Amino acid sequence: MNSIFHRVTIHELIIAIVVVLSLVVLLIMMVLLYSFYKYKVLHQRQIWLQESEQKVTQAIVSGEEVGSVDEKFIMKLRNPSFRNIFLSVLVASDQKFSGGARNEVNNLFKTYKMEDAAWQKIRQKKAYVVAGGILELAVMRVESALPYISSLLEHPKRQVYQEAQYAVVSFKGFDGLDFLNTLVAPLSDWQQLRLLRSIGKLPVAHEEWVKNWLSSSNQTVIIFTLRLIRKFQLLPFYADAINLFDHRSVTVKVQAIRTIIALENVETINQLIAVFFKQPIEAQIEILRALKKSRSPQSTPFLQQQLWHHPAISIKIAATEALIALKQHDYLQRIATDETVPEEIKQVIKHALQEKT
Amino acid sequence: MLILIAEDDELILRTVEHKLLKEGHQTILTRNGREAIEKIKELDIDLVITDIMMPFASGIEILSAIRSFEKQLPVIVLSSMGQEEVVADAFDLGASDFMVKPFSPNELILRIKRLAGK
Repeated sequence: MNSIFHRVTIHELIIAIVVVLSLVVLLIMMVLLYSFYKYKVLHQRQIWLQESEQKVTQAIVSGEEVGSVDEKFIMKLRNPSFRNIFLSVLVASDQKFSGGARNEVNNLFKTYKMEDAAWQKIRQKKAYVVAGGILELAVMRVESALPYISSLLEHPKRQVYQEAQYAVVSFKGFDGLDFLNTLVAPLSDWQQLRLLRSIGKLPVAHEEWVKNWLSSSNQTVIIFTLRLIRKFQLLPFYADAINLFDHRSVTVKVQAIRTIIALENVETINQLIAVFFKQPIEAQIEILRALKKSRSPQSTPFLQQQLWHHPAISIKIAATEALIALKQHDYLQRIATDETVPEEIKQVIKHALQEKT
Repeated sequence: MLILIAEDDELILRTVEHKLLKEGHQTILTRNGREAIEKIKELDIDLVITDIMMPFASGIEILSAIRSFEKQLPVIVLSSMGQEEVVADAFDLGASDFMVKPFSPNELILRIKRLAGK
């Protein structure tokens, strides 16, 4: 080893240092150039975004007078990046404006032939690109795309079939939900909310469908249906919701409790109390929350009993909170200051009263 | 009328601004709640259009500030779906009207005219 170092001359050492320094300078230059390039891209995107938004604003404010084709704008749209930004602005605008403004946005979509761009996306391989294309065609109400989008309901990629589900419901409303009959994959909470939001009304012949979905082997379909029942106050399904208290899934039980409270009648409180002891803790807590929400004085003795005798602390707390909602403060204060009462119960009451304040 | 618009969405902000200018109103644009509160305090504004969710201070905080300045200002609140409880709070704090997004700018103009006529 030593002999190698002895052979390195000063001249060679200087050359080595110069080479290393040159490499460092080169690296710094490359990083700077890359950062500058990134900045330019970002800056350009910002300009294109502003131009696209300006176009939408102009169309909404001035209406048809600028609805005629802008040749300069068409030239710009030849750039795929600009086209994508404009398309995304159109889709976003549709979710911000309604009425005449939304029609103007839709006119822009047609005038500048954005439909072709969306069709190109839907036929690509990358799932997120296809999903984007589906959304664009659905938001812009391109009815002719419906058969193709429906064929994507069975797509293996989640992003694609979820977007297809949303699109068919946007186009067809309640009738678009027929995919639920055979749905095996879970419907996420977010997807359920999106679908529910897209359904404005129910057709007269909805009962058979709803009944079918309530007995689905896919528990997320049942949960979605219970949410649908709540949204449209479908009173005839009250008994079906009660039957779901026996379902094996705790989440379904909890949703069923929420549903019967949403459809509450004079029997509801007694029915909830009657099934209470057959339920797991999560469902029992939900029943106590339901009693709290309904504020029915007939549940007071039952709640007091749970505070005193239920073995689970979480149930004692939920029962106390319900008693507070029923304005049983005097009763609770009396127990909290009674020296003969077990410390555990006193602590639960103090905790619940503190939470309230 | 001098109308202050508090909205962090640039497209909505610009569209409402141009719509109001076309109707002959003057506008002040703010992109966050804190800026809106400062302008309301400083200037003699005739009407406020505010979003509920905004950076630094919400539409609700703007309404509270207007109340604390003891200004009698009509306020139109723009809310999103699912913000019903917040809208109820807004009315308690003196909001004059509210619109749910997606909203129609033409309808907004009609509501401004109605409030201006009161």
